[in-house]
Amino acid sequence: MKILLSYLGNLKEYIIFSALIVISLLLIFQNDNVQIRFVRVIAVNVIGTIQDGFSIIPNIFELERENKSLRETNIDLSKELSMLKEAKLENLRLNQMLEFKQRTNYRVATGKIIGKTLIQTRNNITINIGENDSVKIGMPVITDRGLVGKIVATSGNYSIAQILLNKDLKVSAKDQRSRVDGIIAWDGEGKIRMKNVSKSADVKVGDLLITSEYSNSFPAGIPIGFVTTDNTLDNLFKNIEVECFVNFQTVEEVFVLKFLSEDERKDLEKKYNEKSK
Amino acid sequence: MMEYLKYAGILLGLIIIQKTAVSFIDVTEFRITPDLVIIGLVYVGIKKGKITGSAAGFAAGLILDIFSFSFIGLMALSKTIAGFASGFFNNEQKEERYLNSYIFIIIVSICSIINNTVYYVFYFQGTNLVFLDILIRYVLPTTVYTALFSVIPVIFARRRRFAR
Repeated sequence: MKILLSYLGNLKEYIIFSALIVISLLLIFQNDNVQIRFVRVIAVNVIGTIQDGFSIIPNIFELERENKSLRETNIDLSKELSMLKEAKLENLRLNQMLEFKQRTNYRVATGKIIGKTLIQTRNNITINIGENDSVKIGMPVITDRGLVGKIVATSGNYSIAQILLNKDLKVSAKDQRSRVDGIIAWDGEGKIRMKNVSKSADVKVGDLLITSEYSNSFPAGIPIGFVTTDNTLDNLFKNIEVECFVNFQTVEEVFVLKFLSEDERKDLEKKYNEKSK
Repeated sequence: MMEYLKYAGILLGLIIIQKTAVSFIDVTEFRITPDLVIIGLVYVGIKKGKITGSAAGFAAGLILDIFSFSFIGLMALSKTIAGFASGFFNNEQKEERYLNSYIFIIIVSICSIINNTVYYVFYFQGTNLVFLDILIRYVLPTTVYTALFSVIPVIFARRRRFAR
């Protein structure tokens, strides 16, 4: 410290001289005449050249600032990219749904799934459309890929639908190729099966299953899934496992088909059942 | 302290003469005048060294700038450098010799050429004059004219010395 002070003491004359020069230059640069403008141009060129020379030396603080700024930009861009990807996927889904909507003969209401249970034996979905959109209990819920389930409860703006992964939902179905009928239901343990199919029935792995015209709840011809396993359960029936077309884990938008079975048919079937008893 | 006031008084007197009477003795078509202030400044520099020389140069230059009403700071810059340069001749043993002989004229010439070069090079920036023009038309004539006037204090000093 002593050495430094002594060294600075020796430089005192030069320090004062430099300070006076700087003050003079500052005063000069306060002027705004032609000479000063010219000198400023020269100064800018000289400083620019010097800075250009020094620019090859990395400035740690500047790099840190730049790094931080780039990281922030990166996060912003990642967010934006994620949003764009999401928008693209939504766009694809909505396009497919729109095509389906134009293809189908029934009037449909489009809804978004806002709640979903998939781990219980009676699984449901909640949709953001309800009675205000003319949704009624019993209406089928589908996607462009196939059957999802059936509306079981409604309010003004929301409705709840049983899905195929619900033990209470049973769907009358048929093999599209061989026209063999059966009942599609969930076993509550992870498998959807086609029941009541006799051992001799012509059902093969890969066959497409659709809703049957015998169904009271669903219009005929809605795809449900395809056969994945076909073996004999006992002496009478086949054990047919079905893979649904709809992926319940990822489905986000659905259609509610404005279809209700005819009252006349319902009444007739009811009367006959009562007589039989 | 009194010594410093004496130097300040000398410089102030020279500044007043410079800004009033000197314009009557201009020469050449470029209106060259002697720089009396630089003579006083060299005297101060030789007597008191670089710090006092540059500080006196700055103060004197700033006053001249203020009176010039045009290029504030330029005279302060050139006079600071000249005052600092004169401080290099501050030597207690040789002081008398420097002040009472032709060496004083040489020192004045050196400091004057530094002062004039800085001043005129800045002053003529942005004009068509090249450095050589500036040197021949302004720097050298002013230096020579100033050097001629620096003979006067030398003569006075010698007379005083002989009188003693």
